Amino acid sequence: MLFTACAPVEDDIFTTARITVTAEGDVSITSVQAQVKLTNVNTRQVTTVADFNGTSATVELLRGAYQIDIEGVATCLSPDNVTRMRQFRCQSDYVEFISHDINEVTLKTIFLD
Amino acid sequence: MKRQFLLILILIVIHGAAMASNADSALVEHTSLARLPMLEAMRNPALHGMGYQTPYSQLAIGIDLQHQNQAFVPEKGSGYTLPYLKVNTFHPLNGRSTVWGEASYMTGKVHDIRWNSTSDYDLLQPYILADTLGGDTRRERYSVSGGYATSIKKWLLGAEMHVRAEQEYRSHDPRMRGIVTDLILRVGGGYDLGHYHLGAAVEGNIYKQTNSVAFYREEGVIPEYQMTGLGTEYSRFSGDKRSLYYDGGGVAVMLHASPISKSGPYADVTLDEHRYHRKLAEFNSMPLTDHYNEHVGATIGWKQEKNHRLAVFGHADYIRRTGNEHVGGTSDARYFPVIACLTMYKGHILDTYAGALYGRGNWNANITAGYREVSEEYVYPHRQMDASHVYGKLQGQCFIRPEDKWLLTVDAHASYYAKAGDKLNMPLANMDATFTRLIQHKHKYATANYTDFGAKVRADYAMNQSRYGLFAEAGGGMTLCSASEHQTALHCSIGITF
Repeated sequence: MLFTACAPVEDDIFTTARITVTAEGDVSITSVQAQVKLTNVNTRQVTTVADFNGTSATVELLRGAYQIDIEGVATCLSPDNVTRMRQFRCQSDYVEFISHDINEVTLKTIFLD
Repeated sequence: MKRQFLLILILIVIHGAAMASNADSALVEHTSLARLPMLEAMRNPALHGMGYQTPYSQLAIGIDLQHQNQAFVPEKGSGYTLPYLKVNTFHPLNGRSTVWGEASYMTGKVHDIRWNSTSDYDLLQPYILADTLGGDTRRERYSVSGGYATSIKKWLLGAEMHVRAEQEYRSHDPRMRGIVTDLILRVGGGYDLGHYHLGAAVEGNIYKQTNSVAFYREEGVIPEYQMTGLGTEYSRFSGDKRSLYYDGGGVAVMLHASPISKSGPYADVTLDEHRYHRKLAEFNSMPLTDHYNEHVGATIGWKQEKNHRLAVFGHADYIRRTGNEHVGGTSDARYFPVIACLTMYKGHILDTYAGALYGRGNWNANITAGYREVSEEYVYPHRQMDASHVYGKLQGQCFIRPEDKWLLTVDAHASYYAKAGDKLNMPLANMDATFTRLIQHKHKYATANYTDFGAKVRADYAMNQSRYGLFAEAGGGMTLCSASEHQTALHCSIGITF
């Protein structure tokens, strides 16, 4: 009891991040096959995930600030209902994943073709 | 006339011998191993003031030397050469009040420190600044303390203060510098139950250290790591962030119950909590890490002081160590907000022993058997290093008087630490080779068996017709490590007693 009062202990060190990929303009993305690389800004520790459910990937990681790099292929649906596979890349230099609940982040794609 | 002169001479000789005898009995009272069961209670200034009957003062100049053929703990170096000058006094003013004090100056060299650019490693580890190069450092320490105790009817009151100012530096690259100020204030009270003293004391501590590393040769600059425990580092602020400071302190509560002079059971309980915050000076005092040490210590024993001096006791210390890392957010004009604080380092030290002390006439002996466990854990990525030892210690002390004016004090000790268990869990595949070597080195020495023995001889000479005496002391010891390394230690001092 004394110890609890003295040293503030924060054992809830992990959180869940859901990263969603979207496209700009009138192109919509229906599914994604890509690798997400999350680099912890403070520890330089790298976490990767490639398990996308539709356009979102969910990953459990240390609470903190991250740099995100995504590279892969997306199935895109154009306004005229034409489906195309397009190579894309997403990047963000700084995203905070510190909430104890699910942390949501949406990144816009840069198509490489 | 001649008869009167002879009478005066005889009186002077008798007086001198009596004073010499008083000085000797003071030395015995103040240095006797038989005081061992009371040492914890003596931390309470109210009981410390009543702890000795005789005044005793000493001025000493001496030197401590230690050499390890390979550093057991790289962060603490492979040895030291530390000359010192020290004066201490304990002086009962009257039947009710006592003053005591100590002042010392120490300067010298610590050899071959590696993986540590911070002073006071034992206090601040694992949250230190470190590099792979290291080297010898110079140390300089000024220390002053003083206390006062008095009794008002059955109540005992006392207070004391310790101040330590220390600097450690290196005059070649990497030029580390640590400047420490450490203040301890202690206030205690006691109640005389007749044949028992009950005591309670509180202690406050303020600690500060400014710590930096500089390089004069541009081509010789190497990274300084902000260490976070078990070979991990705070990467974002490692490298060229070499200026930081520590801000800390703590509180302690001590309770004692001890028989005043005769036989009876005694007990001590100590609770203390110390915390040390590491902050980056060059980034607007951004907090990097917080380290918490929480300690519970308890002793229970029984002592008897009649023709024989006998004591049996059991003691246990438990220290819980917790380390929190502050997560820095995005910078804004060299200001980093803290966006989260995570407990990443956990550890504990358990030390428990039982012992007995026996003394008769001019000698005392103490035997102790115990168990010590040190555990460290870094939560993620998971790292763990545990080591436990069982140990036995034997101490002996003898006061010999070869002539009236001479008193010899001989102390000897021997101990053996045998490994009882160990555990090492490291993500070696993902670790940098230099950090892996550090961990392997630390694990090798943390889990080794140790044999330690040593002896010390002190000769006191009481001068005629004077309250002054001279002394010389020399001692040495050796520690043999099962990892095929050893440590030798030497100590010499001379001085006057008064």
